[in-house]
Amino acid sequence: MRIILFSAGASLLFALSSVPGMRLASMGSARLLSIEELPEAGDMCERPDSASKRESLPEQNLFSAFKETAVNAQDNGGTVDVTRPPVRDIRDTAPIYSSVGVDIQHNEVFLQDSNTWSIRVFSRLDNAKPGAPPTEARRVIAGNKSDVQFNSCVYIDPASGDVYSVENDIGDVIVVFNHDATGNVEPKTKLKVTHRAFAMAIDNENQEMYVSVQYPPQVAVYRKGASGDEKPRRLLIGDKTKLSDAHGLAIDTKNNLLFVNNWGNISDYRVAGSGRFEPPSITVYPLKADGNTPPLRVIQGPTTTLNWPGAMSIDPDTGDLYVANDMSQSIVVFHSKDEGDVAPARQIKGPSTGITYPTGVFVDSKNKEVWVSNLGNSTATVYPLMANGDVPPLRVIRSAEEGKASLRFGKTQALVYDPIREEILVPN
Amino acid sequence: MHGFGFDSIHDEICVTSPLAQAILSFRGGASGEEAPVRVIQGPHTQIQGPAALGNDRVSVDPVNNEIYIPVSPNSVLVFDRTANGDVPPKRVLTGPDTQIRGMPSVAVDPVHNVLVANEGNALLIFDRTANGNTKPRAVIRGPKSGVATISSFQIYAPKGWIIAEGQGGFIGAWSIEDNGDIPPRWKIPVQTLTGYVASGIALDPAHKEMILSAAGQRLRPPSGIANTVITFSWPEIF
Repeated sequence: MRIILFSAGASLLFALSSVPGMRLASMGSARLLSIEELPEAGDMCERPDSASKRESLPEQNLFSAFKETAVNAQDNGGTVDVTRPPVRDIRDTAPIYSSVGVDIQHNEVFLQDSNTWSIRVFSRLDNAKPGAPPTEARRVIAGNKSDVQFNSCVYIDPASGDVYSVENDIGDVIVVFNHDATGNVEPKTKLKVTHRAFAMAIDNENQEMYVSVQYPPQVAVYRKGASGDEKPRRLLIGDKTKLSDAHGLAIDTKNNLLFVNNWGNISDYRVAGSGRFEPPSITVYPLKADGNTPPLRVIQGPTTTLNWPGAMSIDPDTGDLYVANDMSQSIVVFHSKDEGDVAPARQIKGPSTGITYPTGVFVDSKNKEVWVSNLGNSTATVYPLMANGDVPPLRVIRSAEEGKASLRFGKTQALVYDPIREEILVPN
Repeated sequence: MHGFGFDSIHDEICVTSPLAQAILSFRGGASGEEAPVRVIQGPHTQIQGPAALGNDRVSVDPVNNEIYIPVSPNSVLVFDRTANGDVPPKRVLTGPDTQIRGMPSVAVDPVHNVLVANEGNALLIFDRTANGNTKPRAVIRGPKSGVATISSFQIYAPKGWIIAEGQGGFIGAWSIEDNGDIPPRWKIPVQTLTGYVASGIALDPAHKEMILSAAGQRLRPPSGIANTVITFSWPEIF
């Protein structure tokens, strides 16, 4: 037999205070405190099982303290509007950057902002030095016409300078803007893609566009310029692919390779109970892989340090693969032919780097630099391409006051309240 | 993630891992990359989600030691709170009589012993231990009720208030004794007051507050800031 304990104010606490073994909390409104086993003593303490039984109990009892007489809306004259404004809110007024792309022709950096739903454009040479104010964007694409929402990837077509952006959640589209687009503008093209699309890359030689989808994990390859409901030319999907919760994607057109990183959350949505966890991985395929094609090789294991890998980018000169390694607070670099449980060839990591929750990375092979977008502090930072270790950035684009830590809000859809610690828990 | 639970009796966080078809329980004070204390996962669990939605919300009843997870197709699975590994559900609420279509959000009132499911602009009220193809004992739905659909909602069990979302972006308080096209007893016009449509609800009885999450879905907020957590004082419901 159990008893359910609530705190319900002074009178209830007084009434219960003589009961041995009870946990009492501070005064306040009714709330559940604990459930305690009572010693076996026959049928001495049956829990009331209906409102009528509870109402027949004496005035000073547990349930009367809740004032829980059934209160039906239809019995009391309708609805009372409560129009008090909120007492508090938690929000980050600064952009939070999830992805970075660079237009090498025009020397511009494009940052995808998942907090204020924008794409912000900066000079490649902008640098917010210590003590300087936040960096001013040259242009901002934002607004309801833009369809920029929970976008996870910004990609600049090196051939045209067009701005591509992948919507990951409620829009399920890839939007395309002219290079100079600014303000609340409609995309010049929209392509409907599968829910949970994450990253993309363009193969200009073959006029194709590669799109990774988290779940069901797949890589869809579209005609470059596809729009509307146009279907993909190829679809890499199936259990043999070893794709699992696919995120970052990069293509090496010189060596005809496709790289995808995976978080390891696996299931077949058509089969109940088929879920399992595997370590994160990078799977490597022929560029033209189609259908249920197994990878050529897999990078996976504790030595790799992979942990929620995000965007990836390839140095076309060396074939080196740069990975934004979000939860390891690092950029890790693998050689093109790496396989198995291999250590990164290089990594940019440490307090001097300014890297915090990196989810975007871009290799600028012309200027021999690597760019990083940091979800943790509203910045993008750039390093020498061959940087290794705790290397300070060459320059910083900063969209908040110096030293500000981002709330790292990605999508605040749910929350719970922890009354023990008086904390609000918010997943993203 | 569209909904999860905090168990203040056993001090645990209960979440799903949607794409891996798993329910994870963590210490209430868990931090960083701490491992879960229990994992429900495997072929016996019957956990399944459609491609578009996944198993993305879960509720915990710490009083009766049960975990509730809506799954595909049109079902609510009930597990023992302490279950670990590849275990079958204790009960499965499913079938045409339940009126459950798709993936509802669910909440439990352990005082009045009801389970409430919210979907299709309705609040379906079941006996807490309902199993199989069971009819709801009451349904709050209709234009006067204004009931909408939200990712996660709450019941304030001591008084039997269902705190859920209404059409037009208000948060309302209905009684677990209501049935039919019944308006809420109170409502806060959250969308009008803030410009946000809430997607998650939490209650803080000690401070007589309701806490809402919103992420700009359904309505682009005038502020341009998509993500927010907003707290209202609402002493009337506590």
